[in-house]
Parts: sequence; C-alpha cells; structure tokens
Amino acid sequence: MKAIEVEGLSKNFHVKHKEKGMRGSIRAIFHPQTEKICAVNNVSFGVEEGEILAFIGPNGAGKSTTIKMLTGILYPDNGRVEVLGIDPVRKRRQLAYQIGTVFGQKEQLWTHLTPYDNFHFFGAIYDLTNDAVEARIKELADIFELGEFINTPVRNLSLGQRIRCEIVASLIHKPKILFLDEPTIGLDPVVKENIRRLIKQMNRELHTTIFLTSHDIGDIEKLCKRIIIVNTGQIVLDDSMEHLKYHYLNKKIVEVKLQDEVKLPSMDGITIRKRKGGNVKFEVDTTVIKIADALHNIDTEYVEDINITNVPLENIIMEIYKAEGKVDGL
Amino acid sequence: MLTVVKNQMRVCALAVKYNIMREMLNKVTFLTNILFMIFNNATFIVQWVILLRLREDVGGYTMREVMLLWGLAASSFGLSHLLFSRVFSLPNLIISGKLDAYLVQPKNVLLSVMTSATSASAIGDFLYGVLVICIFCFSVKRLLLFLLFTVIAALIMTAFALLMGSLTFWFVRAEMFGNHMIGSAISFATYPDGIFKGIVRFLLYSVLPVGMAIYHPVHIMMVFDWRKFFAVLGYLVLLSVAAVFVFYRGLRRYSSSSLMESGRV
Repeated sequence: MKAIEVEGLSKNFHVKHKEKGMRGSIRAIFHPQTEKICAVNNVSFGVEEGEILAFIGPNGAGKSTTIKMLTGILYPDNGRVEVLGIDPVRKRRQLAYQIGTVFGQKEQLWTHLTPYDNFHFFGAIYDLTNDAVEARIKELADIFELGEFINTPVRNLSLGQRIRCEIVASLIHKPKILFLDEPTIGLDPVVKENIRRLIKQMNRELHTTIFLTSHDIGDIEKLCKRIIIVNTGQIVLDDSMEHLKYHYLNKKIVEVKLQDEVKLPSMDGITIRKRKGGNVKFEVDTTVIKIADALHNIDTEYVEDINITNVPLENIIMEIYKAEGKVDGL
Repeated sequence: MLTVVKNQMRVCALAVKYNIMREMLNKVTFLTNILFMIFNNATFIVQWVILLRLREDVGGYTMREVMLLWGLAASSFGLSHLLFSRVFSLPNLIISGKLDAYLVQPKNVLLSVMTSATSASAIGDFLYGVLVICIFCFSVKRLLLFLLFTVIAALIMTAFALLMGSLTFWFVRAEMFGNHMIGSAISFATYPDGIFKGIVRFLLYSVLPVGMAIYHPVHIMMVFDWRKFFAVLGYLVLLSVAAVFVFYRGLRRYSSSSLMESGRV
C-alpha cells in the first residue's frame, strides 16, 4: 500500500524583484515588480509503506517545498497529494497525528526544558496519557541512548544529542511516516553514523516509512533503497539505489603505481585523469572496453600497486544535476 | 468535541506554564522585570496628581476615573502579553517561516502560536492595574467588574494585534503599520476620552479598539449601563471573528522560509 501519493504537484512563489542600488529601491516603491518562481513543477511520485526514500537535489530544487506540502505546512497551487490516504490541505490536523517531522535547521524543542519535559509536552500535543508517554519515552530512550542526558536542559546539549532528542520528540506518537529534512546537517561523522544507525533500526523495528532529504551522500547511500532527484522543481531521476549504481557505475577508476614512468597507449574508453611519475590514474568506460583489456596494456612486471574503485556516488549525482543545467552545490 | 477542547486547553495551559518557567529561569531578572514595570507605571500617577491639582478634571475625568483608566489599560495590556505575547510578534513568525513548527502539530495553529511565549514584565503591568484599583477606588463590585473588563479588554487588544499582524501574510511592510496601530491604541488608552473630539473620537471608537476596550468599561464601572456593556461584548465578538478569519485566510498564503533559525524560541 502506498504511504504517499503525489500527482502533478506544483507550487509557485511570487518574489519581489528590485533593481540594484538606491535608485532601484525608490523605483520599487512606485513600480513594484514581482517575479514568479516555480519551486515545484508538476511532480508525481509514490512511496510505499516502510520504504526509506531519499529525496535529493541541489539548493533551491524544491525539496523542502515538497516536504512542506506533504506535511500540510504549504498549500499546493496544483496537483493532488495524499499522505496515508489523507489530504494534508483539508485534514492537516488529522494527518499530523500520523506523521512526524524533523527539520535539521529548525528546532521544535523548548530549549529551557529537559528532553524528558519536552517529550511530555509533545505527548500532550498528541493527546497521549502520562502513562503512555512514560512507556514511550522508556522505549525510545533505549533505542536512541538518551539515558545520560534526558534530564539535562536542551540548551546544554550538544548538536548530536539535540538532534537525537528532536527525532525522539517526533516519534513520541508512533508516526507511520517520518519526514527528515537534513537531519544530519552540521553533525560530526561519528554522530552522523549513530543517527543513521538509529534511523535504520527504527525503520526495521517499527516499520516507519522514512522520507529523507539530505545533501549528505553518506545518509543516502547508507539509508535509502530508492532515490528521487529533483532539480528546478522537477523530478529528474526516480530509481532504486541498486539500479542507479548498476546503471551509472559503468565507469571504473584505476590507480596504478609503477616502478618507472611508462607511457600508456591511447585507447577508446580510457581517459587519463592524473599522471605523476610512475603514478597513473585513469578512468575506464566499461561499456567501451573491458577492465581486463584495459589492464592488458600495463606490463605487470613494473606494477607495484593497483587499485580499482567505482566512481563515487557523489560524482554520479553531481553529473545528474549538471545534466539538468543547474548546480549550486551538493 | 468536548475531549478535543479539553485536550487543546491542556496543551495551552502547559505552554503557558512552560513559558512562565522559562521566564523564571533567572529569578533576579524575573523579579526585577515585574517590580520595575510596576514602578515605571507608578511614575505616571505623579503626573496626573500634579495635573489634577491644577484643574478639577481633565476631559470629564477626576483622579478616580484616571486611576480606573490607567488600571484597566495596564492590567489588560499585561494579561494580553502574559498569555498571548506571541501575537504581538506574529509578523516576525510569518516573515521568518517560524509557523512551520505549529503547522505540523495536530492542534489549533492559532492557539498554539498565541500561547507560545510570555513576557515577565507583563505580570508587573497586570499587578499594577489590580493594585491601583484596590488602593484608589476599591469596592467589591468594581473589582469584579474590573477583572471582567480586564479579560475582555485583553481579548480585544489580542484580537486587534492578531488582525494587524495577520496583514503580514499579504504585505511584509504591514509589520510597521501594525506596530504603529497597536502603539497608538496603547498610548490613547492612557488619556481620558473626553479630550478627543470629532474624527479622532470616531476613530477611537471604531478603527482603534481603545473606546470599546478601555473607555466604555471605565464608564460602565462608574455608572453601569447595559447598552454600553453589550456594545463592548459585540465589538469583542466582531473583532475576534474578523481577526481569526483574516489569520486563516492569510495562512493559505504562508510561504514558510529556509532561514537557519530556531523554529520555536
């Protein structure tokens, strides 16, 4: 069964446009001009129950706008949205009981309260009894390892601890779908890894559907089985991670360390990326030439070390962005 | 339905409790805020004492009416800021996209926003008004009426601030306009209505909520008048309905924001 169904979703914003300088400011008073920005343009997709989906794209691609329309924060201009069979526009409050949200850039917790008090407040918001909240706090505190700081005011917590508490607060009412908007932003690698592990565990044990946006390729690679890439408000790719890798990872990077500098014969499908002394780095397009044939050109007697790797996923996604003609950064 | 209302009230009460707990984190700041607000308001009594020694009355108000006026203005302003302080900074929430945190919760957005902040100095304002009534013009009936009108006036001021703040959904610069309107209402509320004539008087009883929130209640507390009483109640209902309607119409235009700021505090 589909947890999320989106059909022809569109959202435009009208942004004021002003010419530069004081003259432009004065002119804008008498002749205000607005520019129509198409944030989301005719987007359609579905998400299965229990799925972990990465919804990614460069800055300004329309990711957050889409999440905000799915959660009832923003009203779509066109299209149909159903989350767990509920229309977020008409039944926002009914939907809110079924979903959880974590916005990495916006905290929802009361900073002067302890996580424990915060969880009780969120429990009240979701009409839970005190006993139900207590039981849930115990369960989630174990999964997310909050024991050490559950009674420390949120303002005294580290960013990693705070994000864990944000996620727990958003799970207090056992949501069926969790929307995570850049949950690991600003976290160090160890904490990121912990958060990813906990999200995966939660998905496995509680069967929670995860809708994730992130600029961190690690989040996507380690958590998601399916990826949707958006750019300039449109979906440019909707594929499984496995298929994406299979389809796009037809290029291999070969790094060879040779005893002496050797000239490699130029061949179709081989592109030299870097050469310094006996160290050579080249890319092999396996659709043109087999990796074994490419290596035949190297005299193995002179080889000290060899390393064959896939093109990093980050580069693949960057290429997909570039193909659509807009990149602000990944 | 009753359970829904009960649960909503439970969340609002918790929010107000946590807001006050936040203000009480630093007890010295908390207490000095309250005390200095009382002293600050008290300084204006001196001006009126001097003025009313020179003249028998100002705009038909003697010392007793002036104290009622000041007491009601301070208490209602205080109560409004104590319970619904966030309404007065609504434009900032709208512009910086801070309504998101309330929109993803299964509770009434407006009530959640309204009760999400408080002001410690507002407690001083509220106490000042009650003290003034008890000291200068005490009677049980007047005190009860005063408390009733404090609640009504606080709701009128909140509804007016909500109406003004909600205009930001349409015009960003409405924030300045709204602030001026609210500031004017508060300033006019501390002067006797008898000194205002013509168009200004008309505005004070229509566009600005001062006449219905403060002047009429002061008149009623001096000489009870059912017609004025119902006029005040009618004005409260009309203004509240208009403010809530404009807020929810505006909410459809809410465009959020990606500013890296706190969603709540």
